Amino acid sequence: MSEDPCASPAGTAGVLDAVALAKLRQLDPEGRAGILVRVLRTYEASLQKLMTQFSAAREAGELDGLRHVAHTLRSSSASVGALVLSATCAEVEAAIREGRTDGLDPALDALANESARAAAAVRAMLGSQGSAA
Amino acid sequence: MTLPNAHFDETEPGPSPSVLLVDDDEVNLLLTSLALRERGFTITEADSGEKALALLSDWSPDIVVLDALMPGLDGFTTCRRLRQLPGFENVPVLMLTGLEDDASIARAYQAGATDFFVKATQWSLLAGRLRYLLRASRTRLELERSKAKLARAQDLARMGSFDWRPVDHFKSGRLEMSPEALRVFGIPPDGTLTLGAMLRMVHVDERRAVLRLLADVREHGSVLATDLPVVLSDSRQRILHIEAEPEFNELGQHIGFTGIVQDVTDRRTAEDKIRHLANFDALTGLPNRRQLIWRTERALEHARRLGHQCALLLIDLDRFKVINDTLGHAAGDEMLTEVAARLRACVRHSDQVLEGSLESAGSRTHRSLEAVGRLGGDEFVALLPEVSDDRDAERVSQRILDTMREPIFVGGQECFVTASVGIAVFPRDGSSVVDLMRNADVAMYSVKATGRNASAVYSPQLAGRGREKLELESALHKAIERNELVLHYQPKIDVRSARMVGAEALMRWQRGDTLVAPGDFIPLAEESGLIVPMSEWALREAARQAKVWQLSFGFADSIAVNLPNRLFERTDLVEHIHESVSTYGVPHRAIQLEITETGLMKDLQDVIPSLHRLNEIGVEISIDDFGTGYSSLAYLTTLPISELKIDRSFVRDLGITPQSSAVVTAIIALARSLGLRVIAEGVENLRQMEVLHRLGCGVMQGFLFSRPIPPDDIETWLQQTVLPRKAPWIGQAGALERGGDATRAAGGRPY
Repeated sequence: MSEDPCASPAGTAGVLDAVALAKLRQLDPEGRAGILVRVLRTYEASLQKLMTQFSAAREAGELDGLRHVAHTLRSSSASVGALVLSATCAEVEAAIREGRTDGLDPALDALANESARAAAAVRAMLGSQGSAA
Repeated sequence: MTLPNAHFDETEPGPSPSVLLVDDDEVNLLLTSLALRERGFTITEADSGEKALALLSDWSPDIVVLDALMPGLDGFTTCRRLRQLPGFENVPVLMLTGLEDDASIARAYQAGATDFFVKATQWSLLAGRLRYLLRASRTRLELERSKAKLARAQDLARMGSFDWRPVDHFKSGRLEMSPEALRVFGIPPDGTLTLGAMLRMVHVDERRAVLRLLADVREHGSVLATDLPVVLSDSRQRILHIEAEPEFNELGQHIGFTGIVQDVTDRRTAEDKIRHLANFDALTGLPNRRQLIWRTERALEHARRLGHQCALLLIDLDRFKVINDTLGHAAGDEMLTEVAARLRACVRHSDQVLEGSLESAGSRTHRSLEAVGRLGGDEFVALLPEVSDDRDAERVSQRILDTMREPIFVGGQECFVTASVGIAVFPRDGSSVVDLMRNADVAMYSVKATGRNASAVYSPQLAGRGREKLELESALHKAIERNELVLHYQPKIDVRSARMVGAEALMRWQRGDTLVAPGDFIPLAEESGLIVPMSEWALREAARQAKVWQLSFGFADSIAVNLPNRLFERTDLVEHIHESVSTYGVPHRAIQLEITETGLMKDLQDVIPSLHRLNEIGVEISIDDFGTGYSSLAYLTTLPISELKIDRSFVRDLGITPQSSAVVTAIIALARSLGLRVIAEGVENLRQMEVLHRLGCGVMQGFLFSRPIPPDDIETWLQQTVLPRKAPWIGQAGALERGGDATRAAGGRPY
């Protein structure tokens, strides 16, 4: 019998939405396929890659690059329950799409912060789930 | 990784649908594919448009799910490229777009996506949408297949559909044709055909009628069904069948027609062929009996209306059967074809008239009924729809007889054929086709009876001979052609050796199920002259039988054939016998001729030359019924005859009246002194046999030995009666043999 995948490590409850996580767990109700761990790992890797792209695009002022990161992160973050990050991404994506690029910095900062929080939460969760990988 | 299809929709049988999932976001790719796998789909993942297209180069999924926004090739470009790949025109593509991204939705459709779906984690909805798209795609595929099948079927049937929307009563309106329909009209699929152009394909004579028909159905909103003869642009003549039903809108107003057009040329050709076969003789191409009767009926209608005369000539070839029998049926057919061609040339023959085509023409059209037709066998009819008198008809019949005079070259040799023509004239000789045919037949038989190769006009005197007799005669005439005549044989017995020493051939008529006795038809055959072809047939048949017996049991004696004296008068009798025996490879002596004493003496002078010639070639002559006539004894000594046949009346009374044995004794003595053989006929019992034998006549025939029986039975009779020496007369004959006055030794061949 594996550890209970539903257990939520302390400190991450506010970052990753429980309902979204429960939905993920439903994909693999008995945890045999280790899906939650796979998804979280994929997300963690994706997040890391995208934030590197994000920093590069921000420095170079490439709006398209920023928009792409926001678009991709928006939906994948929603999938793992990083709802605040997802919402921030949606805001950034919409702003760029609609050309509201003045005063974008606070939103971009928020995106960076939220991504760091999400990454931490994912890591914490993966740490507690390690043996299930 | 595929999860068990625990949640697979049971309404979707078959293998799990294959999905190509394209998304650059690995998280989403993973999640979506997990969710769809769980719902029974087989997922192949691609994280870019480029990879997706690479996969599609040698594989085709049931459905493609594309993320709209991707670095590199985005979903829209990928979709556009995918649609250009062969075979991917109709694969369902679902585009995943962001919520409230209206521009993307529009672009997705423009790029050729089948549908869009908002990216979300509601997997059940996504799976449901995919199933819906797959089902729609399958339905569409079936529809396409069904359309293709219909098109192919229509193509094969040279058929196509069209819609016609007439604008008003004066304008032709819009005519829309399926590619198949255009093809029927010989127009390429991308071409067009207006009503005007279509009408120009119709022959100008019929165009007006077609326009009238179109106006009529348009006005009444009725069903259109017509055959349209057209000339296509490549000048092919075709017949198109057009059938259309009126269409109505929801208000019940007639708005146009929808229908089909079909090339029915082949069918019409076949129908024409069938009609031709039904009306024309296959061998000669002449009108057949059915067509002739029809023409004659029409001709009589005209003659009645216009008050003129009309003639029917019945033409029957003389001795055609001989040609068929000796040269074979192929030669016979060849001859009929040639005769048909000659006969055609004797009248203003017209082939064109068929049912229904006569009514429209003018009053002299009955002339076009004139024709020669073949009734069957060697019987032809010439119909002269208008004659002013008998002479008109006789002129034509003379032309017919003349045209036959030229030899016909068939079967590698020249043949001469003559015809007998009977003429009946309407209204004098009959008022119906049946009456005229019958009376022409009567006239024709009167020609046959009086020597053939001539014509005769019907007269009531000819018919006076009696219907029954005529019918019998007619049937007898056909009996020869139909092989209804048969020969039965009665053995001639040498009682001293108990052997068969010959046989007499006796004619029977197998008329249906009954065997007609010679007494019931020979006199009529004599009277009508049919006895001549019948006797000729009998000679050939006897020669054939002699050969059969020779092969089966070594028969080497003669078959006696009874001939009427008129046959001896014919100069070709010797040739005929020669031909008969040569045909079957038997010697001349295989045929013996029997002539009655009365017949012989009646025309003695005319008969003598023949008798000599026959005698020279080895054909023996036997005098039948001897003792009943008035023979000139002086002649008897010089005639080239070989045998006297004691009449049955004397034999019957043997041992009863002394006179009869006196006559028999005298005949035997006469024969002996003239060096002639003697034979007794009508021997029915052992007493008669014993007396005859004692008086010196050893050869006999009669019921005591055997009735006249079919040729095969002769063999049986020999094997079962003569060979085992079982019959009572054989024992008696043996006793006679031992009695001593026999001159021949027993123990030879058993017949």
